[in-house]
Amino acid sequence: MRLKRCVMLAVFTAGLVLLATSPGWSAEKLPSPDQLRKEVKQLRQAGKEKDEILKILTTKYKGLDLKGLAALGGKDKGGKSAAPEIVTKPLTFAAPARTAKPAREIARLIDTHIEKTLKDAKLTASPLCSDDEFVRRAYLDITGVIPTADQARTFFDSKEPNKRATLIDQLLASPNFGRHMADLWQAKLYPKDSTNRFLLKQPFVDWMAESFNKNMPWDQFVTNILAGSGTVGENPAVTFILANQAVDKLTDHVGNHFLNIQLQCAQCHNHPFIKDWKQEDYWGVAAFFSKVQADKPRNANKGGDNSLIGVVDSNTRNKSKDFFPEATKDVAPKYFKSETAAIAPTEALRPVLTKWMTSPSNPFFAKAMVNRTWAQLFGPGFVNPIEDMHDDNPASHPELFLAMAEEFGHTGYDLKNLFRSICNSQTYQRTSKPNDLNKDDSDFFSHQTVKVMTPEQLYDSLNLLSAPEGKVNKGKAQDQPKKGANGPRDQFVNFFLAGAEEPSTTEFEMGIPQALKLMNSRAVTAGKVLQDVSKSADPAMVIEKIYLSTLSRRPTTSESKRLADYVAKNGTNPTTFGDILWAVLNSSEFTMVR
Amino acid sequence: MLSSTLVENSRRDFLKLAAAGVGTTSLSGWMPILANTAASASVQAKRKPKNVILLYMDGGPSHKDTWDLKPGTKDAGEFKEIQTAAPGIKVSEHLPKLAALMNDGVIVRGMSTPEGAHARAKYNMHTGYREGQGGLTYPSLGSIVACELGKSDAAMPNFVSIGARSYGSGFLGPKYQPLLVTDPTRGVEDISATVSAGQLDNRLGLLGEMEKAFQGEYKAGVINDHKTTYERAVKLMHSKEAKAFDISLEPTSSASKYGTGRFGEGCLMARRLIEVGVPFVEVVLGGWDTHQDNWTRVKANSQQVDAAESALITDLKERGLLDNTLIVWMGDFGRTPHINTRSAKPGRDHYPKAWSATMWGGGIKGGRVIGKTDSEGATVLEGKTNAMDFLATVCDVIGIDHTKQNEAASGRPIRIVDKPQPFSKQII
Repeated sequence: MRLKRCVMLAVFTAGLVLLATSPGWSAEKLPSPDQLRKEVKQLRQAGKEKDEILKILTTKYKGLDLKGLAALGGKDKGGKSAAPEIVTKPLTFAAPARTAKPAREIARLIDTHIEKTLKDAKLTASPLCSDDEFVRRAYLDITGVIPTADQARTFFDSKEPNKRATLIDQLLASPNFGRHMADLWQAKLYPKDSTNRFLLKQPFVDWMAESFNKNMPWDQFVTNILAGSGTVGENPAVTFILANQAVDKLTDHVGNHFLNIQLQCAQCHNHPFIKDWKQEDYWGVAAFFSKVQADKPRNANKGGDNSLIGVVDSNTRNKSKDFFPEATKDVAPKYFKSETAAIAPTEALRPVLTKWMTSPSNPFFAKAMVNRTWAQLFGPGFVNPIEDMHDDNPASHPELFLAMAEEFGHTGYDLKNLFRSICNSQTYQRTSKPNDLNKDDSDFFSHQTVKVMTPEQLYDSLNLLSAPEGKVNKGKAQDQPKKGANGPRDQFVNFFLAGAEEPSTTEFEMGIPQALKLMNSRAVTAGKVLQDVSKSADPAMVIEKIYLSTLSRRPTTSESKRLADYVAKNGTNPTTFGDILWAVLNSSEFTMVR
Repeated sequence: MLSSTLVENSRRDFLKLAAAGVGTTSLSGWMPILANTAASASVQAKRKPKNVILLYMDGGPSHKDTWDLKPGTKDAGEFKEIQTAAPGIKVSEHLPKLAALMNDGVIVRGMSTPEGAHARAKYNMHTGYREGQGGLTYPSLGSIVACELGKSDAAMPNFVSIGARSYGSGFLGPKYQPLLVTDPTRGVEDISATVSAGQLDNRLGLLGEMEKAFQGEYKAGVINDHKTTYERAVKLMHSKEAKAFDISLEPTSSASKYGTGRFGEGCLMARRLIEVGVPFVEVVLGGWDTHQDNWTRVKANSQQVDAAESALITDLKERGLLDNTLIVWMGDFGRTPHINTRSAKPGRDHYPKAWSATMWGGGIKGGRVIGKTDSEGATVLEGKTNAMDFLATVCDVIGIDHTKQNEAASGRPIRIVDKPQPFSKQII
């Protein structure tokens, strides 16, 4: 043990010395190598661990480069490395190739294409949706939560001719947009398994929400996640690598989530049906991850600080035994359907991969996100299953799909613009009520789809109803107790996920336990809605308030009559109104997005 | 843990492939056996469906200190052997009641599995597959039984899991997820209405009207699914069978036989559920991960198992239900034949290479041992049984045809594993 520490110390200090003498450090600010050695020794003798020493020294001496240090001082191999050290450069991104069409033009493009295919299929489209359908749908699709009664009323009463376009802009500018997108992506990128039980999730979720809110271009977002370096504290995007510490998991993510292809079958053999994916394709991509060094999460119960663990590129193969599955094939890094990567000896591998993935010539990247975003807003995508794009599974609207993907690339992968384009189209704004002629259509978007709320949307919407007037519980900081335990929001979401890894918006997956909870749990309340109802309250007004708060609309004439009869029969009292509220909260209209 | 750590082609996509005619509605050969298992096939033709109680020993119970003792050897441990009611079979002194019932049970001493990490081992033992195989999340035994033997219009759920989260339905989907009961004394959460029966009826009336109007205009499949789920939930609330979840209704004289503690309560609830026709109940007992302090903890756990399981067997027998109920006792893996002395309280570590599981009831020919380990309990000499073999045997006993395969190749290739070799012929 003792010997190991001495050796570690030597390597660690040697590393510091290397950096101290490398160009780029200003001599007046930083200590001499000898002084550094002394300080490290003193701190060691004081019982400080490597991370604390790093922290203390970098605070004391501004400009001390952490990244190189993090790679050193680990498991010693005798102090001599055969391969040259990787020079970790900051990630850079190209500017958009040309200016793109404005959102409203893309919206018209969408409508032109859709209308043409409808005509060819001899289908009649349903009309545009009403304002009340629109307001709830837009709020839920873009910000993940229903509007308040006031917000709904304001929208209905507005006489502004472009109020729908204005609302879309407002919703895209809301911080809830980022939060909603982060919810969707954390389910995909952060597996809930036992190896991750101590790995911090909130910094990653916060980073994602921030990135979506400031409209980080999609290629940058993906590059940061796949190729980021540093500790969780410095760069929360590295959490993705930390949560998926195996080359096959990482490669599967690359395929499924960012390129929408099912590459994982080719892990063990050439895909028997899809001639596109061969084993060499799979392992060629996996090779880009083979030299990632990632820390294992620390035991938080023993005081381990998981904001200090991190990821870095190196020039040696990752030595962790779990990082490579059985029957790993070691091949040179290679883009599939393309040439072998040309990589300089000191060049980090991962940025080479992400550059290829996000380049305009990559046929999958832009299409993948367009497909996914379309599906988020419509239910089905252009290609279904969403993550299964290949030659034998063609898009329903190939020309439109290609055009939108190209435009997405031209905007520099501007995600909010993509949302804006789609949401402003008439296709998006059609009612989800089918007519007799189009009720069997699920491919041509003749009408919108009734989608199911995700558990997060359900929780946030219920939370809105039980929050005191004017204050929305974001369910963030206070719901995240320490030590990786789940807060109320997480518990609710896990319960309603009922074992699925991520929610489906096109299938209703609640089972009996979930129905029981919504019907009988005292925790599911809508305390705010009936808060100020007095004995002299006008039943019609109370009912309207219930409807506006939950369903974002006023009751229809026949509904009003039916409910007025109910009140007359059972009395104007909190119990009666409670019944009506209960029924609304348990209705499919509440948990669905029409 | 419920989910595999690998990204999967989700069940919904799988079902879509099936719907598109690419796949099949069968269980996609979840227990693939090649065609020439004629013996198995004929065995199955005779078996009528049986219920299952799975007693899952979370943590990996030490086989050398429960069902496969090696007295007189170097690392035999602290426990003595006692004779059971079956001649030639001996078990730990801390399982006396079960020893007396040995003629109703079978000890499988040749268990040998490839997974030594808890989560992966649990997945393997519950599904027969190894985590990550084939890129799908496979359904656990409970979900398979719910799917094959459960009644879709029953008021009660077809798969109940008591005490801990269980392995779920994988690609079979949410319909076959277990109903979880975390605390048996509290029954099913939220099963009772918070208002009077009359008021509940009023509420349901209002809800029904709203649903009718909404579906009338929007005509969406998801709205119909909502209706079906709610109808089943309400049916459960109103059913008399739901009283099975309330163990406080059990007379004390009867309840006390199960011993104290959550496991005993869980076994009691399991019996009550079997009585009202639930086909599969899982009850979990943790605390078996005895890297340290092996003998104190194994003794305490053994006492819980002995009381609860023997009460279960006896009660079912009295009610004429034992022949129709297979009780399976198994865990993650066994524990090292060698004793570790790393700490002041010695223990045993994970050991999947050789371990023991047991089966009781279900009309099996009891009073026998399947398989055999060497003098140290370290290797299996005869009757090597892996998870697939074991689960295939369970299927044979309870009347599920595990040879069912895909009719057409699915869109997803599923890695074929070694032909399972069930030992059913020896016990039925």
